[in-house]
Amino acid sequence: MKKKVLSVLLSTAMAASMLAGCGGSDTPAAPAADNGGSQDTASSEADGNAEAPAASEGVEEITWMFWDDLNATEDLISIGYKDTVERFNKDYEGKYHVNVVTTNLEEYYPKLNALVAAGETPDCFIVSPGPNLDVYVDPGVAADLTDYLKADGWMDTFNGGEGAFSQQTYDGKIYAVPLNIAAACVFYNTEMFEAAGITTMPTDWQGMLDACEKLQGAGYTPITISAGTAWCLSMLAGYLCDSEGVDLAAIDGGNASWLDANVVNATNKLVEISKYFQPTAAGDTNDVATANFYNEEAAMLIQGSWTIAQINGANPDFESKCGVFAFPGTDGRVIAKSDSIAMSAKTAHPDAVIAFMKYFTDDTAQKYTAEVGGKIPVTTVEYDASKAPAQLAYVMDVFGNAKSTFGFYNESMATTEAGAFFDDTMVSIYLGTPVEDGLASLEDFYKNNVWNK
Amino acid sequence: MDKFLRDKKAIIIFIAPAFLLFTFVLFIPICQSVYYSFCEYNALTDPKFIGFENYRQLFTIDRTMKIALKNSLFFLIFSVVTQLIAGLILAALLTNIKKGRDFFKNVYYLPCVLSSAALGLLWMFVFTPKLGINQILAQFGIEGPLWLMDTKGFIILPMWVIASVSLWQYVGQSMMLYMAQISGISGSLYEASYIDGCTKAQSFRYITLPLIRPMVATAMSLNAIGSLKFFDLIFNMTEGGPNHMTDVLATHLYQQGFKYFKYGYASAIGTILLIMCLIVTFIINKFVKVENYEM
Amino acid sequence: MKKAGKKKSKISTKIIYIFLSILAVVYLLPLVWVVYVSLKDDKTLFVSPWALPEKLMFENYSFAWTAGRLGVATLNSALVCGVTLILCLLVGSMAAFAIGRMRWKLSGVVMTYFLTGMMIPVHCILIPVFTRFSKMHLTNSQIGLILPYLTLSLPITIFIMTGFFQSLPNELFESACIDGCSIYRSFTHIALPLSKTGLFVTGLMTFVANWNELLLAMVFISDDSKKTLPVSLSKFVGPYNTNYSQMFAAIVIAIIPTIIVYCMFSNQIVEGLTAGAVKG
Repeated sequence: MKKKVLSVLLSTAMAASMLAGCGGSDTPAAPAADNGGSQDTASSEADGNAEAPAASEGVEEITWMFWDDLNATEDLISIGYKDTVERFNKDYEGKYHVNVVTTNLEEYYPKLNALVAAGETPDCFIVSPGPNLDVYVDPGVAADLTDYLKADGWMDTFNGGEGAFSQQTYDGKIYAVPLNIAAACVFYNTEMFEAAGITTMPTDWQGMLDACEKLQGAGYTPITISAGTAWCLSMLAGYLCDSEGVDLAAIDGGNASWLDANVVNATNKLVEISKYFQPTAAGDTNDVATANFYNEEAAMLIQGSWTIAQINGANPDFESKCGVFAFPGTDGRVIAKSDSIAMSAKTAHPDAVIAFMKYFTDDTAQKYTAEVGGKIPVTTVEYDASKAPAQLAYVMDVFGNAKSTFGFYNESMATTEAGAFFDDTMVSIYLGTPVEDGLASLEDFYKNNVWNK
Repeated sequence: MDKFLRDKKAIIIFIAPAFLLFTFVLFIPICQSVYYSFCEYNALTDPKFIGFENYRQLFTIDRTMKIALKNSLFFLIFSVVTQLIAGLILAALLTNIKKGRDFFKNVYYLPCVLSSAALGLLWMFVFTPKLGINQILAQFGIEGPLWLMDTKGFIILPMWVIASVSLWQYVGQSMMLYMAQISGISGSLYEASYIDGCTKAQSFRYITLPLIRPMVATAMSLNAIGSLKFFDLIFNMTEGGPNHMTDVLATHLYQQGFKYFKYGYASAIGTILLIMCLIVTFIINKFVKVENYEM
Repeated sequence: MKKAGKKKSKISTKIIYIFLSILAVVYLLPLVWVVYVSLKDDKTLFVSPWALPEKLMFENYSFAWTAGRLGVATLNSALVCGVTLILCLLVGSMAAFAIGRMRWKLSGVVMTYFLTGMMIPVHCILIPVFTRFSKMHLTNSQIGLILPYLTLSLPITIFIMTGFFQSLPNELFESACIDGCSIYRSFTHIALPLSKTGLFVTGLMTFVANWNELLLAMVFISDDSKKTLPVSLSKFVGPYNTNYSQMFAAIVIAIIPTIIVYCMFSNQIVEGLTAGAVKG
């Protein structure tokens, strides 16, 4: 008999809770289910993400979402972020507290979007500039930060002032704050270059091909790259397109085509240089391709400067042999990428979020970025160049000598999907699809998905 | 007795929890998702009804969809056929040996209980040219192919590789189902057949096969649905690359829905997937006749 | 004549054993390799993937354990999967009992309704379910994860348990009815105990499926202290590089409990499947 009662109770309880839950979709929550007692503050509705344990003590809890686990990571930049979070929480103890929500990069945007869709946008979140940021700016998910930046000279601490925000600015309003800059360069093995008799670094396309030829002649693999990892090949393709004068804005606007001669030339160059890749390029992951370089199995690696930390971490002896030069033939243009942080337009604690953001761009964090992380600081901070990895100075030279910068190619197109389509097209051309066919499919994609919008 | 089993109140009490859960957590969301498939909806803005536009795009201009459909169908046929054959062979072999039967059975079933995400990662590693199997082949002077990057042929090599890995992982499930069914067949039937002069192969053909037919249908339906929904291994081994050549419907859905936030469009793919599952289950149950829950 | 036949069968048995053994190696080798990689360090992994490690890197395990917070994650997984398992068996077998044993017109329709659940890719319902749950304040909590796990496990549970209940002899229920036993009592005291093996099999299947589930757990849970095991494994994948050896160490830690449980119960699984199948 007891069991009977149990089953009746169970099914009615289930029914009740489901119905209550359903009805609750436009009222805050079923009162019976409320256990936190934090319902009295209107704010907990907006950022109900982390169940604030200490709302009554007046500590403002905010959440920051990031794409790498801060405890398990070996990425030096991520470790730096962890320090920043800890400093912030310590300094503002009793006033503000930040909770970090992490996923890996693969699930980052799916999760962030699910949170946004459900009205649980984290108070601030990391984002790549370009179409990834567009997604949050257009529907008003990201907040306009211009006034905060201009209010107390925060903006002036940035290298280049307002110019530092060009990738984060929409209609004159700034929607995200860059935290550091990575530049894509050619890393090379100085010993191999010497042995192959290359004394001056290539500055144009022919020079690059000659260098590859010499290296191959000396018995070295000239270039290591992960051709199967779309964004790695895309960096090279981006440089080649830019050096041929491909104008992405014109293409996005429908004023130029993917079938134009300059794109064809750039793609042909890609095919030309792919002769010098390591034989397993198509199957090597980015980790393997980078390992080929620091284990001295190949002479050149075309990568973003975040790879410095990876190289020096894995093979400290290699630091002294590793040189850097700007990708040749680009007329002084350099690919640069910055991690940026955006604030939710609906956050209930904008002051806490801004205070937190400032910790990322303060001198301690920016010094770390350069001296340990191997990325270029965004502020005008003075750092100790002797502490920084040797390669950073070279990268800084490249960056400092650059006439202008442009974003990663796949992050500079109309949509993230267009960027990915470009990447995939380049991979398929490398794997043997004829250049014309590959570009024709890209053209088709633009016809169907970009130009008709 | 009849009244006892027709107690309406009891039926409702028994069914209600499952029914309510199912309706609220699964059925209503499915309906929502079917509705979204007729909308332009990026999950960040409100859905906007656009009729059959998503479906039109899917079937007329989406190249990846064509590849994904082809790969999904390949995968479906490959796994249904190979799992049936390999599962039956293993089951027949194992029921015929005495020593070590449990050991082999456990070993073959083991991957079924392990995470396919972890196994996918492992196999990706094994097929990486610098790290895995090609290094061993190189010891014998053989240059291994680009297992996961080759793009030649109608069904490309990576698809065969992934399909084989999935056979490796899931054949244990079919084997177990068949073994269970075979061991339920009365031994006297076989004895009678041996007395009549049947060989082992003959008794397998004329006794075992017909008697395990219902299980064949069940196992095939499970395989077919599983292979259409197949996601983890591909996602972890190739992510659908190179250039979407190894995409199947589920990975295409994931990319459109969660990488590019075209949630309405992804829902359209999901709806097609659901319809395909329904059709395939219907066909299997029609042609491999089975009494599932008929007394 | 008879002897020759026996000899022939001996040879064929040998061939069978050789075949089965080779296959067993194909099954075990990759798993051995995981353990092997987990004991190397990333540097030597890329230089000489197959060479024996010079030094066994047991640090990988301690790092994986602490940095991945695998202890907490294992507990969370056990909690979520355990509760789901119990509820799923209870709710599922209740429904299966009504469908498989009781007499009502709509039972076939309701069964089909439940079975469609097997055909839904989880990605399709992720956003609607997440949005709904977040309005109900169920996200980022274990209950929010248990509910969809439970629901997604129901179809297969009902499918298998219905078969089990149908295979029970009618006489049992007839005599129970004559003895004045209520329908509820005949469910809890006759049907359930006699279907132990079925409960065991379905329980194991749903447990394994939920134990390995990643996507829902990744999206639904934000709090580090509530993350489940598969989510914790993905912590080792960084934005630009991956700690392979530590990740493999974490994978080993994560799959060892599964393997132990599996080895302990593997015979019951077969028994259960057999018992379920006998009904024919």
